[in-house]
Amino acid sequence: MQLNSFQQQAFDKQRPTIEKFGRRSWMWTIFFLLWIIVGGYALYLQIADGHIVTGMRDNVVWGLYIANFIFFIGISYAGAVISGILHILKVEWRKPIIRIAEMITVIATIIGPVFILLCVGRFDRLHHLILYPRLQSPITWDVLAISTYFTGSVIFLYLATIKDFAIYRDAKLKVPKWRQKLYKILAIGYRGTPSQKKHISISMNLMAVIIIPLAIIVHSVLSWIFGMTLRPGWHSTIFGPYFVLAAIYSGTGVLIMAMWVYRKMYGLYDYINDKHFIYLGYIMLVLGAAYGYFTFSEYLTDWFGSEKWNSEVIHKLFSFSEYGWWFLFANVAGILLPIFIVAFPKTRKPGWIALASLFMVAALWVKRYLIIVPTLESPLLPMQDTRLEYVKYSPTWVEWALTFAGIATFFLFFTLLSKFMTIIPISEFGDKEKAPEKITKPEGEIIPA
Amino acid sequence: MIVLPAKLMAQTDSSAKPEVKEATTYAPLIEFVSVQKNDSSVDLKTSVKAKINGTLTKLAGFKIEFTIGTDSTAKKLGEVVTDSRGVAIFTCKPDQLTTDAAGKLNFKASFLGKDSIESAEELVSVKRARLEITPLKEGSLLNVKVKLIDLSTGTGTAVPETDLGVFVKRLFSPLKLGEGKTDEAGEASIEIPNNLPGDSHGNITLLAKLDENEVYGNLEAAVTQQWGTPVSDELKELPRALWSSHPPIWMLVTFIILMSAVWGHYLVIIIQLFRLRKEEPKTIS
Repeated sequence: MQLNSFQQQAFDKQRPTIEKFGRRSWMWTIFFLLWIIVGGYALYLQIADGHIVTGMRDNVVWGLYIANFIFFIGISYAGAVISGILHILKVEWRKPIIRIAEMITVIATIIGPVFILLCVGRFDRLHHLILYPRLQSPITWDVLAISTYFTGSVIFLYLATIKDFAIYRDAKLKVPKWRQKLYKILAIGYRGTPSQKKHISISMNLMAVIIIPLAIIVHSVLSWIFGMTLRPGWHSTIFGPYFVLAAIYSGTGVLIMAMWVYRKMYGLYDYINDKHFIYLGYIMLVLGAAYGYFTFSEYLTDWFGSEKWNSEVIHKLFSFSEYGWWFLFANVAGILLPIFIVAFPKTRKPGWIALASLFMVAALWVKRYLIIVPTLESPLLPMQDTRLEYVKYSPTWVEWALTFAGIATFFLFFTLLSKFMTIIPISEFGDKEKAPEKITKPEGEIIPA
Repeated sequence: MIVLPAKLMAQTDSSAKPEVKEATTYAPLIEFVSVQKNDSSVDLKTSVKAKINGTLTKLAGFKIEFTIGTDSTAKKLGEVVTDSRGVAIFTCKPDQLTTDAAGKLNFKASFLGKDSIESAEELVSVKRARLEITPLKEGSLLNVKVKLIDLSTGTGTAVPETDLGVFVKRLFSPLKLGEGKTDEAGEASIEIPNNLPGDSHGNITLLAKLDENEVYGNLEAAVTQQWGTPVSDELKELPRALWSSHPPIWMLVTFIILMSAVWGHYLVIIIQLFRLRKEEPKTIS
């Protein structure tokens, strides 16, 4: 395939990244693998001894695993919704960042459901979900929605990468033969003819249209697992949109962080420039404000109603001897911090926005934990077994080890995928494109390059 | 965390002297009752519990020995092992029953004890008696005539002024329908409702009971009568509902539409990709 000058420039810049694994990549890979091994040992203990090795008991039957599940499915929104919307709106500045967004989507959608599997008590009956599904059960909806969503995410990423696979195929990269062969297979004979371009364009448009409602349904279904249960703090009509909003919000945060890391790691300042951070920062600000509004509305309604069980959960969230500090962190770092950092021109810089994203993403993870645990610690029926471990949930090292193993797997997949395909899509720079803005010196970094 | 595997694999020191603890024993609590039935058999029921660590625990898997007669004339009837509820029931056949000079039946349930549970025994002494149950239908009125007869003297003697109850057998415990007092002839007549749900043929099992009587203990008589409303036990097809095994139609339709829309899109895209592959130029410029 013939490349224009901009495509050639982008390809030459990233060619060494996919041709060589590099010492730094090896070190990261080994580091992540070590975490995964620790997680593997924790998993062995959990399988051998049962769920007794976790902090989950009769009352608090969900804990870290479910919080991780919601978190990962949430961040998968980066590719699905953000990339989908920007594609439909034909926003030009999206092009250098969509690959990262779509990679986040696919990887997060693989890792998220694994945490559900870790939570399943009777693993031997897992296939019953497929063999004897009850269409009335939100769990069945979830299984169907997530598998459909995962398929869609993979197709979306693949469609956006076919042209690049064709470029890799024709570029005679210095990579092993199996990889060259794989690029050839994945390129499915794309040569850039007008009709082939049309097929990809039609497919991309269709995918962009369908992935947005699909992603909204997936996270709504996820929220209904809670919302359709008569539990204090869960049984709320706004849980669907609240979850969807929080998911897009955290997805934006992870996208900004990934952009910041890749820009710095591979020196992609010409492609991922300040404009991308600022625009995504604006999106984050709007989402943060909307998320703050939903949060306020949700807790105000529960508090004002003074219903006994809701009040008990509210009390736990506001009491500093219980979850008060975490709740404060979730709201300050999750709502106020990103808004203030983006609102003021002085801090509206890539480094600051990435830092705010880091805190926001952490805060949203805490928020997911606070949705699950305090409610389960406030059952409607009196607890039969009042041992402390039954009344109060406390994650064990097994749960933490598997959580960090999940995060390490996320980073490992990201590392491996970014060595298989270029982070900046080459083919997106068409003949009529403007040249990428030339920025040789990063501006506004709080950490010097 | 790092030392955990080592801790898990660590062996206990076998040379260390084991700590000698004083053995704790528990005294069992036995409930023992006899139920004389109208087929002349007697059910001997025991329920065994013990207070262990402050909790009343049902003792399952323990042997109970049943005997009849006083110490000198005691005759072993049999042994039964307690079930998961700590209950053991022995049915004593009419030919196994022997009365003493006063016409009394003397039963003994002996708990032999095991491990930390001490042995114990309980006695029951009741007069031989029988309840007779006769269903009577007068027009639309349904009555149950119950007669209490004392058999301790050898010749049946009617027992007056005694409270009796009439029940209908249900899935779990019997449902009380009414009660009455026996007259001079030892008889009581109790009216029962005519709309009781029965089995698929309308059969209901009526029970007459004398409970915890000081002289006769527990007595029971049963009769099956076609006086109930037939209720079929065949499984009917459940309606489409949130709680049944079949989802509501609207839910099914919504699901099919949504899934078809999404997977239909996927299919169109896959077809597009197949076309793309087919259109690969033969000669590459």
